[in-house]
Amino acid sequence: MKRKIFFSVICALTIAFASSASAKVKIKFFYPVGVAGPLVKVMNGMVADFEKQNPDIDIEPVYAGNYNQTMQKVQTAVMGGNPPDVAVVEISELYSLLQMDALIPLDGYIQKEGGKAFLKDYFKGFLGNAYGRDGKMYGFPFQRSTPILYWNKDMFKAAAAKLKAVGLDPDRPPQTWDELVAYAKILTIRQGNQTKQYGLIIPGGWDDWIFEAFSRQNGSQLIKSDGLTVTFNTPENLEALKLWVKLMQELKVCPVLRPWNITPDDFIGGVTAMMYYSTGGMAKVRKTAKFNWGAAFQPKHKQYGTPVGGGDFHIFKGIPKKNQDAAWRFIKFMTSPQMAAHWSIESGYVSVNKKGYNLPKMKAFLKKFPQMKVARDQLKYAYPKMMAVNYQLIRNAMTTNLDAALEGQKTPEQALADAQKLMEKAIKGQ
Amino acid sequence: MEEKKYEVVLKVFVLQLGAMLMILPFVWLVSTALKSPGEVFTSGLSLIPEKFMWSNFTAIMDQAPFMLYMLNTVIVCTGILVIQLLLVIPAAYAFARLDFTGKDVIFLLFVIQIMLPLESIIIPNYLITKNLGLLNTRTGLILPFVASGFGTFMLRQTFKQVPKSLEDAALIDGAGHLRFIWHVLIPLSRPTIVTFSMISIATHWNDYFWPLIITDVDRVRTLTIGLGMFVQQESGSDWTLLMAATLFVCAPIIAFFLATQKSFIKNFLTSGIKG
Repeated sequence: MKRKIFFSVICALTIAFASSASAKVKIKFFYPVGVAGPLVKVMNGMVADFEKQNPDIDIEPVYAGNYNQTMQKVQTAVMGGNPPDVAVVEISELYSLLQMDALIPLDGYIQKEGGKAFLKDYFKGFLGNAYGRDGKMYGFPFQRSTPILYWNKDMFKAAAAKLKAVGLDPDRPPQTWDELVAYAKILTIRQGNQTKQYGLIIPGGWDDWIFEAFSRQNGSQLIKSDGLTVTFNTPENLEALKLWVKLMQELKVCPVLRPWNITPDDFIGGVTAMMYYSTGGMAKVRKTAKFNWGAAFQPKHKQYGTPVGGGDFHIFKGIPKKNQDAAWRFIKFMTSPQMAAHWSIESGYVSVNKKGYNLPKMKAFLKKFPQMKVARDQLKYAYPKMMAVNYQLIRNAMTTNLDAALEGQKTPEQALADAQKLMEKAIKGQ
Repeated sequence: MEEKKYEVVLKVFVLQLGAMLMILPFVWLVSTALKSPGEVFTSGLSLIPEKFMWSNFTAIMDQAPFMLYMLNTVIVCTGILVIQLLLVIPAAYAFARLDFTGKDVIFLLFVIQIMLPLESIIIPNYLITKNLGLLNTRTGLILPFVASGFGTFMLRQTFKQVPKSLEDAALIDGAGHLRFIWHVLIPLSRPTIVTFSMISIATHWNDYFWPLIITDVDRVRTLTIGLGMFVQQESGSDWTLLMAATLFVCAPIIAFFLATQKSFIKNFLTSGIKG
């Protein structure tokens, strides 16, 4: 009898152990790294925290390159019938993923969490890029940024007399396009033919993103939210592009197409007094700049306006239901107030969860670096970033034509018309 | 012909100037790898860091298992090269020395392979690799590259230059195909083989896209993926760490080139194929 009991206990234990081992859900998670810093390590640490709290789930974090490469890795895996369970992809790629029928809607999960009440904790400006044309939610915001204006307070102070002479306040950044031109002119220092200090840098590389901001500030946009109607060639956008050409070609207060990833070094190294740049660059400026600097809203024209940027979470089709459920738990964890705040502090991204800003840790951090608040506050004027299928082709059409205009190879009119044509073609290519 | 002394001095001076220009980017790389972030973009040009930041190297090791990546890269590159040579040498021999039906058409297909960019065949390659169960394996990293049209073409041209009389002599002495390849063709083509090996290793050492697509785990990932972690899109790069990582990644290749440079240069002096 004793033996029998002993045997059955062993059996029960074995079964329990075996079932707990097999019940462990394995999740594959692709993510890009967009900003400098030991973010691979930070990401692995967050994943480890999640696994500690959720012993039934095993997350395998896979670094997948930059945004473009991550998208290519995801696409290849989906086409090969081997999709990841969850991935972070650049927000403009959503329609391409939907066209491949690669994603599941998250509405069911969100309903269970409390629907609208649950979403209220997240910044509305970041949710705009999460929806497909069918109105369902396919993405969940994670590493999100907007472009902002960085300004070197010491350089403004050094030029105080000149600024005051024309009625400009040296203690604040420009707030309108006209002021931007006026400040940039005075802050540019030339010696003979050499420019010792630029007033402003509008970097190349992602100039389409900054251009979208200027378009919004002028009351226009590049592609309508249906993802089908291209409005690249509008009088408002022409005015914006002409302003850029004026800054770079005529006034020469802004270098032509400064490479995107060198621009923060120009700012830190004192090459320029102002720069348009992603909030993603803020951690780097904070850690290395040896002068007083400020962050500000991008100057307005008709209105303040900016697109958002960065990457969203997606859950994939073609994987078991229990993996999808586990992936949702992972997303929920990663965007919880604690984790969103942690990710924001480490990376310079905006905390997507509003409650993240109420945490003592975040409050202490913002007290030391009030510049980090600007990106959050600018969200009031944020619009969803443009989305369309074949986004990589569209982006290519935009950047090559903007570049041609800024280099003086095309007139602004010609560049906008050419880009418009190519973008329409790319969208019809679906 | 005797060279006049001033000619020699002038030649050496010009060559040294050229060498300095060539080496400057590399010196700059080493210098930046040892600087602190604030020192990278200073107005004056200074190659010697104020303080040597050896910690840059510990910092990159901390971010990714670079030693493991190095081991994987060496295994993958060596694997590719060994199998390539085993396949390319007999193939080149067949195209250079044997007569068989369809030879020209098959050779044309080999040459076409040189023109195909990797990206255009990435999906079929991915599917084949997946169906063979080779995702996340080093074999999967090696397999798509073992048949080299470029190598076959290069060696065929070299083999063709070997005089027919040598082949006849070998035949009279009773050598078969393999013996002729081993004892006559390979020794005579050593510089070409070394050159091909260098190009092969350098190419696959720098492969990024294929390893990124088919591997998910550190266990099989290669150096370039580790390097990619330091190139950022949304913020500026961390130049000191990027350069430290670059130095770590390219040092073995440079050492390898220095070790084999004599054969390499000899080949460029004698063969008609450049690059």
